[in-house]
Amino acid sequence: MGIGLKVRRLTLLAGMAACAFGLSAAQAAEKHKIFLSMSYIGNDWQAEAANMVKAMAAHKSLADKVDLQVQVAGPNAQRQIQQINAMVQSGAEAIVVYPISPTALNQVVKNACDKGVKVFAYDAEITEPCAYNVHIDQLEAGRVTAEWLAKKLNGKGNIIAITGVPGTSVDDQRTKAAKEVFAKYPDIKIVGEAVGMWSQAVARTELSKILATRNWDDINGLWMQVGCFTANSMQLEAGKKTSELLPCAGEGSNGGRIQMLPEGTEVEGAASPYAPLGAQRISYASPPYSGALALKLAVEAIEGKDVPKTTILPLPVVTSETIKLCDEGTWAEMKAGCNAFKPSLVSNPGWFASIFSDQTPEIGLAAALVGQPEE
Amino acid sequence: MSSATLSSPVSGGVGLRRALVRNRGALIAAIVLAILLFIVDWVSAGPLTYFDVSFLSSGGATSALAAIGQTIVILSGGFDLSAGAVISLVNVVLASSMDPMAPGASIMLWTAVGIGVGMAVGAFNGFFIAVLRMQPIVVTLSTMFILQGVTLLVMDKPGGFVSPDLGTFYLGDAITGWLPMPLVVIGMVLLAWFWLKGTRFGTALYAVGSDADSAAAVGINVVLVRFAVYVIAGGCYGLAGVFISAQTGSGDPLVGNPLLLSMFAAVVVGGTRLGGGQGGPVGTVFGAYILMIVVNILLVLNVSAYYSTIAEGTILVLAALAGSISHASVLAVQLRAARARLAAWRAGILPSQLERVDRRLKIARPLQDQRSQASPRPAFHLRNAETLRYALPAYVCLIIIVVVTQIWLGRTILNPGYWNSLLVLSTFLAVLALGQGTVILTGGLDLSVPWTIGISGIVLAGMVNGSDVALVYALPTVLLIACAIGFANGFGIVYLGISPIVMTLATNGILQGCALLYSQGTPAGFSSPMLRWFMTARLGLVTPVVLLMVVFVVAAVLLLGRTPFGRRVYGIGNGLRAARLSGIGVERTLILVYMLSAVCAALVGIMLTGFSGQASLGMGDDYLLPSIAVVVVGGALITGGRGHYLGMLGGVLLLTALQMLLAGTTLPYATRAILYGLVVLGAVMALRERRLQ
Repeated sequence: MGIGLKVRRLTLLAGMAACAFGLSAAQAAEKHKIFLSMSYIGNDWQAEAANMVKAMAAHKSLADKVDLQVQVAGPNAQRQIQQINAMVQSGAEAIVVYPISPTALNQVVKNACDKGVKVFAYDAEITEPCAYNVHIDQLEAGRVTAEWLAKKLNGKGNIIAITGVPGTSVDDQRTKAAKEVFAKYPDIKIVGEAVGMWSQAVARTELSKILATRNWDDINGLWMQVGCFTANSMQLEAGKKTSELLPCAGEGSNGGRIQMLPEGTEVEGAASPYAPLGAQRISYASPPYSGALALKLAVEAIEGKDVPKTTILPLPVVTSETIKLCDEGTWAEMKAGCNAFKPSLVSNPGWFASIFSDQTPEIGLAAALVGQPEE
Repeated sequence: MSSATLSSPVSGGVGLRRALVRNRGALIAAIVLAILLFIVDWVSAGPLTYFDVSFLSSGGATSALAAIGQTIVILSGGFDLSAGAVISLVNVVLASSMDPMAPGASIMLWTAVGIGVGMAVGAFNGFFIAVLRMQPIVVTLSTMFILQGVTLLVMDKPGGFVSPDLGTFYLGDAITGWLPMPLVVIGMVLLAWFWLKGTRFGTALYAVGSDADSAAAVGINVVLVRFAVYVIAGGCYGLAGVFISAQTGSGDPLVGNPLLLSMFAAVVVGGTRLGGGQGGPVGTVFGAYILMIVVNILLVLNVSAYYSTIAEGTILVLAALAGSISHASVLAVQLRAARARLAAWRAGILPSQLERVDRRLKIARPLQDQRSQASPRPAFHLRNAETLRYALPAYVCLIIIVVVTQIWLGRTILNPGYWNSLLVLSTFLAVLALGQGTVILTGGLDLSVPWTIGISGIVLAGMVNGSDVALVYALPTVLLIACAIGFANGFGIVYLGISPIVMTLATNGILQGCALLYSQGTPAGFSSPMLRWFMTARLGLVTPVVLLMVVFVVAAVLLLGRTPFGRRVYGIGNGLRAARLSGIGVERTLILVYMLSAVCAALVGIMLTGFSGQASLGMGDDYLLPSIAVVVVGGALITGGRGHYLGMLGGVLLLTALQMLLAGTTLPYATRAILYGLVVLGAVMALRERRLQ
């Protein structure tokens, strides 16, 4: 292929793909070409994680080292397989991936590894041994939250369990671990169980269905993968006082965190139910910073540093005792121990608040919200 | 195409031209694919090598194989929603039964197992559809739920083992360096199809798809043909399942489900007409690869993640448009009509410009009176026998479900809270049922419901942000946006001649991109207190929204049953051509229908935002298939023309009551899915079509 053709191609590119590609193609020589293959982008967690990855790539420590391209595979594992293949073809040095399936990608990932591409999976796991994994211990998440609830109930009572997406290993591990804990307490009975799909909206419809034939008074506690914020709102609507809210083990949404603050706390922008209620909670989540951390580790791996194959993130657990409101949400502030954000800054109560990591001083609240790295 | 060929005057001795016309859909799909391949080659760093071709061919093979099966079903006038679930089932069956310790695996044996599982499912579908004459869409939807449950029983999380031998065989080369195996597999399936097409069975298949009644009249065994179609299609999905197992080397109970919608897109892009009788699997294979190669194009062009669904939607529409370029295409016809109208207007001979005189025949009034005197108005149940026959089963099943709930869980029939929950939870689907139902009555389908709901909720929450006053301008804005969405859908379908499934699927993708861009990935804002009160508070025993629902139901019944608009909808559904000839403004009505559907979806988005207190991305995802299911369970005919809103409402109440029953139990999810599917299947048993004469 002649040089003339090459030039023509580049000109065409600049026109077709907006300026970004043309620029990056020119500079790509010195930069590491890294791809991000996301899953379904249509939910809050994924979008927040994507913002944090972009912020990480834009941080001054990485901006002139990394040429990051973000692609979406949708919910379709087949597509992600092809996407990863295409990324390898176009010369990726590393691929950061949110794996749609822990097993379906194994062959294509192996193929990528064989070509010297570093593959980093975040949040969920890829079982192929050559891949790097960055995630929390889901078994621990299920166990810790179930133990907290059992203790709150003094080992006795009726509970409702709202699980995640059936057929995924994350849901399987969390639910199994929690049920093992509950099995140790013969007086704890799971009286209702529904699939919550990790969505506040679904949790609400499922709880409404369960409560159609039951009463809040027959229930003593809630174990939910996502939905405590909603469950608290529903109890208030049903006429419960804030002091009567049931203990709830569940997700790390900012709405839930704000509800954990002691009732009467002055919080800018709060409006019931997105307001301090003094709810009894344990709040945990798969932290959305895992993708950003995976990107950082990927750069380290490309530069020849020794990166462990599996990075187990500390389980971000916040209880009613450790809850603390942030002022601005900078990394430094979170480092000092705050873990909930004002509704005036985060207007979506379903937004995931577990964004702090010791290992990622590059990103704070602004990163998760709009993709802006820290100074 | 067959009708086009017959009606267009073909000058003598142009067999080639006729063949071209007949296969135009497939040809254009092939050309589009070639252009896309060329673009990939053009913009990517190096030239396309054999390796690229090999990996592209394996990437699209699963969907191509499954879509071939779907094409055959569609050619016979059917519809198969269980395809994705069959792929998952075959995948987990193989992954859980292969022994990792065994040295080698027999490729023939496991391929046969996969195809066998698929054919068994196909026989299940075929039995209910062909022998019991039930509507394909509900049968296969029920099968889908049942299979998803069975799949989770076989394997409740990803894992298992598929022998690498399978992968080496299916992903390898047939002729090293020249011919990748996936293409050979697809080629063999297509060859089998060509052989089949040449047999009497093949002719019968097209005949049944074009017009089942005529086919039966000329002595074709319609039942047998339909049954065989589902079995053959099941075999294709089974093979696709084997292929994806080979490709992934493991099992995942969710792997096949997302393939379903893109499969339909592949069929339509490949030139097969939904509704049957036209097209074929060759075009479908090109269609599947067109959809697959889009992934590569987005990658090489570095299209931002937020824009990717928009780009895909646009490509889908463009491909569909390219497939319909011809003198006889809807777009060309519309353009000619517009030109003719303009010319007529210039000449001053448009009907509206002429002096209008009432030229109706004068039918003597007394005649009507005499008749009504002679024979009294028949009783209600006789006048509405047809409606009752199709609408009642849902209500009968509803009563059964409620009684079962009372016996199993207690605190139901005399508990006002139960009825209130049932009605509140039904509201969403009841509103959607009017929109989707009206679209289905005209013979279409609206797949843009999920993200119309999503974008409405997100825009509303963002504008309202907890303030009641803001509702005053936020509500009209959201509804206006919905009107625009519906108009775009209708415009594409009516004036560009794009099939409803493709158009609304594309719109859905474009809306998803818009929602992401608007919200920057994190939807802001929350519902206002008044909206929340409306959806969750209690006025005595009922939630305020229940009162709205009553008004809505009355309005919906009147709209479809007592207005000219309603009559036009039924007219179009019963026969587009007849409707046009009897003076119905088909274009205007269809556009209004899609606008109605979008407005209903927007209402649901608003109500869901009030119900949950916030809006989230993907909040509408769980409403697409149920919105279609309730319409059909309520007795509507998926091909249009038949159905009553009260029947659909019965379907909504039935499915909601069933979900409430299942949620109250502590049965595992897999069992619930199976029960759900079985009950839906049982509920529609009574809706069987009458035996063909």
